[in-house]
Amino acid sequence: MSVTFRVPLYFFLLSLSALKGQTRYLEENEITPEGLFSLLNSELKRELSEDFIYRRPLRCLDMLATDGQFTFAADRPQLNCAAFFIGEPNEMISIAYDNVNIDCDGGDFIKVFDGWVMKGEKFPSSQDHPLPLYERYIDFCETGSVRRVVRSSQNVAMIFFRIHNAESGFSITVKKLLNPFPCNIISQTPEGSFTMVIPQQHKNCSFSIIYPVEIQIAELSLGHFNDFPVKRVVPGCAGAGDFVELLGGNGVDTSKMFPVADLCYSFSGPAQMKIGCENTVVRMVSSGKFVNRVTFQYRLLDRSELQKIKGNNVEDFCFTE
Amino acid sequence: MKLAFLVFTVVLLVAVLPRYESRAIENPGAVQSASSDPQSDLQKLSLPILLRLGEEYFLRLGSANQNPQVFMPPDASSTTVKRALQLQLTQRLLQGKVANIRRFASSNSDQLDDSMERGKRTDDPPISLDLTFHLLREVLEMARAEQLAQQAHSNRKMMDIFGK
Repeated sequence: MSVTFRVPLYFFLLSLSALKGQTRYLEENEITPEGLFSLLNSELKRELSEDFIYRRPLRCLDMLATDGQFTFAADRPQLNCAAFFIGEPNEMISIAYDNVNIDCDGGDFIKVFDGWVMKGEKFPSSQDHPLPLYERYIDFCETGSVRRVVRSSQNVAMIFFRIHNAESGFSITVKKLLNPFPCNIISQTPEGSFTMVIPQQHKNCSFSIIYPVEIQIAELSLGHFNDFPVKRVVPGCAGAGDFVELLGGNGVDTSKMFPVADLCYSFSGPAQMKIGCENTVVRMVSSGKFVNRVTFQYRLLDRSELQKIKGNNVEDFCFTE
Repeated sequence: MKLAFLVFTVVLLVAVLPRYESRAIENPGAVQSASSDPQSDLQKLSLPILLRLGEEYFLRLGSANQNPQVFMPPDASSTTVKRALQLQLTQRLLQGKVANIRRFASSNSDQLDDSMERGKRTDDPPISLDLTFHLLREVLEMARAEQLAQQAHSNRKMMDIFGK
């Protein structure tokens, strides 16, 4: 092979292998309707394009886990409405206004919140979210003409709306986008498993399960596997820059929950804990110096286990064992 | 008969028990603006509150069999949600917590702006939803069921098309 041919060839092969490493986590390997859609001929595509969009009316109190187009038509004044959005842990929510017919001057509003708000508490907490609180509310009346698509930072979002007139309404299209390194997740199910990775970023991430569960941590890796385990001068986790904590509480705000356990040593081999609270959170704090990873699974506590935990505990804040 | 008795008991309890400022069920706004002058506000609204509470309490219970003039539109599959809502409302009323009717029924956005302002200064969310975890889980499970049904439908459609 001539030199002039070899150099571009080596460069091409090098780029291929580099890209393979970089984009490994970004590939979507699932077969999706949209992916298959592109293989069809134009006639079938026209026929299917209507079918593939899920449509239904939006209710005044609603929870949406599917993609689709949702329309709210007020048959009478609805002054206090909210809808929750939730996706898979590795998804983000994208909300696009399709057509909005509300009277902003008359007191109507549509506000999208980046997270969930319940009883005055927000998830993710202010400590765990990159934006300040007032920037997490996006008001259609203020920004709607400019910003027609709103995207959440995690797998949950909310929309608050108020409509005074019976003929008003609006329509939104909800799509899910892929989030390669999910941080701040609310689990859709009371049972499951998850691996949270924080790749050398200085941030805190929470995985929230709104059920009383038993958590089993299968593996915790704080720091690169080549590093020697850090010798701790002070016993316990005080002062550790990288650690995982298990929290329990009766609200969604992780900063107002009680730490049940702190883990600041890497280990593998299951460690389990039963947390009988309304909300159970696995939170990872990362200094940014290391790649931190925790793998865990969780299952719902049944009534007899909950009774047993409550019976064995003197302390009053959600019961742990 | 039972309904009338229950409404009467609730009205009596509300009149007798001390009144605490509390968030409305759906749109509490900031607690700060509410707690600034709770007693006089409530006293001003005491008579209308009792009547309104009676109305709303009644309306919610009425959803089970009458015309739905209710807060949440009834749904064929949401009887448990309705029951949970009723239970929540009953609990709140029996504990003597009075919903802030002024905020609930207010159609002007002045209070909302106030709370937004305060929200900017403090860290409390200006708009919040007052929902129990139990109700949240119910709605979440409904949404999951909907998603699974939609997934099954979508899969079936794909099989039909690619089977042709």
